[in-house]
Amino acid sequence: MSDGNPSLRSGGEPRHAGTVEIHERQEMVSRDLRTEEMVFNMGPQHPATHGVLRVVCKSDGETVRALQPHVGNIHRCVEKIGENLPYYQWLPYVDRMDYLAAICNEHVACMAIEKLGELEVPERAEYGRVIVAEVQRILSHLMAIGVYGLDLGAFTPFLHQFRERERGMDLLDHISGGRLLYHFVRIGGLKRDLSQDWLDELDAWIDTVEQRLPEYNTLLLNNRIFQERTMGIGVIDRDTAVRWGVTGPGLRAAGVNWDCRRDVPYSIYDRFDFEIPHGHSGIGGELGDCFQRHWIRVREVEESVKIIRQARAQLPEGPVMGRVPKGFRPKDAEVYFRAENPRGELAVYMIGAGKPEAYRIRCRGPSFSNIACITEVAEGMLIADLVALIGSLDIVLGEVDR
Amino acid sequence: MADNPDTAASPDPVTERALRIIEEGAPGAVTTSELTGRHPWIGVKAESLRDVAGLVRDHDDLKMECCHLISGVDWPDPKSETGGEMEVIYHLCSYAFPADEAYKQRAEKNDPWIALKVRVPRDKPEVPTVMDIWTGADWHERETYDLVGIRFTMRKELFRILLPEDWPGHPLQKDWVYPASYHGVPIIPPEGL
Repeated sequence: MSDGNPSLRSGGEPRHAGTVEIHERQEMVSRDLRTEEMVFNMGPQHPATHGVLRVVCKSDGETVRALQPHVGNIHRCVEKIGENLPYYQWLPYVDRMDYLAAICNEHVACMAIEKLGELEVPERAEYGRVIVAEVQRILSHLMAIGVYGLDLGAFTPFLHQFRERERGMDLLDHISGGRLLYHFVRIGGLKRDLSQDWLDELDAWIDTVEQRLPEYNTLLLNNRIFQERTMGIGVIDRDTAVRWGVTGPGLRAAGVNWDCRRDVPYSIYDRFDFEIPHGHSGIGGELGDCFQRHWIRVREVEESVKIIRQARAQLPEGPVMGRVPKGFRPKDAEVYFRAENPRGELAVYMIGAGKPEAYRIRCRGPSFSNIACITEVAEGMLIADLVALIGSLDIVLGEVDR
Repeated sequence: MADNPDTAASPDPVTERALRIIEEGAPGAVTTSELTGRHPWIGVKAESLRDVAGLVRDHDDLKMECCHLISGVDWPDPKSETGGEMEVIYHLCSYAFPADEAYKQRAEKNDPWIALKVRVPRDKPEVPTVMDIWTGADWHERETYDLVGIRFTMRKELFRILLPEDWPGHPLQKDWVYPASYHGVPIIPPEGL
């Protein structure tokens, strides 16, 4: 025992031998054992990174001190391909950017090309496009809602949403022949008409979705464990969101009342009556936290159902394909077009050069800007909360890497 | 896409307003501008880009607080001494004025964006960064460097983002040729190239 240590003899009280031993051992540990910050990799094959995202983290115990996301693992040269292929041949590649919202991508790309070439789209095709784009938005958000539960350790909601998602994918399969990548929206209109049988099927499906949403909310949104896990976590406030270019549910959760469908009305969205859910203090959690982002997706599914119902009621008769000149060569011009995808604003900047292919095509994938902000937001978070943050941003790496 | 041809031919109110503010706040910064058509833009000198960027972000009548997209375009010209030009286009947008009158008069209804263009010689494609003005510009600048080869100066380390660090060249340059192989894997260019 250490007679020479004055701290052990202070007060002159006899001390229990065991206490002294433990005390000594602890001192020895803190003196001899070096602690240091650890650098580790999350991904690229980590299930919580939703694809091939690699995040290099520096951690102090369980706390993230700094991190750097590395992207580009599935870069497929969409922009380079766009410069080498005629516009209509480039379209299938657009599907593969955000593969959970393929039809929304096609819709945006087609609208940009039509703006460049000054083409007209028939009324029925516009309505058909809105219907399929909103079906796609519901499918994408169902996936986001279910998978977010999976990230936080709740397996059941994931399987429940797949039940509805399967039927929705069957719907799109019936009109396009594809389950995930459709190539259904074409320059000038749609690939084929929407039949009455299909529309009846659609009606039944949106009724089911609306009916089952409260069920998901019982499992996740109103679940105490889920709330504890997401409320006040991963707060992206208005300033941070706008500075980093975060769009979509991430921006709206921060309290910005902004949706391209309403504020920059493209296609025929100005004919429908729908609300833009945006974050506020009345729903629980903090403005811009993971909980509010999740809540916005749930609300957007309800709004999409509303839009589909209205479009269904207004659907006119007529052709679904406009006049597209053979050998389509948009003149020397440039366009910038942006629209609201499930994950945020997809923008296309295109320069035509009077040739069948574009001189330059530039795409802004919303996930690209959304994921960039975690370098700032995740500092000081727990590693387990980092999973909650990445999940709530709902990124698709196909779109980050393009 | 109900574009009104009359509105498309008249000057764009938002870009007009931005041009006036830039000319007042940073005299001599504007090189050329296009106020009509579907894609109005303002050309800015590279050396005054940062002043202009700060101006359009902070001015009360513009509030371009979000850098939506940065794109690089290669314009080679074999006859020119510098080998042509490279261009960086900044698409900026605002979330502050969804109901502003000028935005409502636009051909595209109320779409609050403006475009700034910066042209630099092709043999020395250097543009000052705007990363400290819009934080989100970081990754966009890295991507523009990676694919088009435009170098952004005055910022922290600029490195590739999508392609491997040792990838030869910048593929979106118009004179880029496919390498014969990469780490021993032969590369067969697509037909017609």
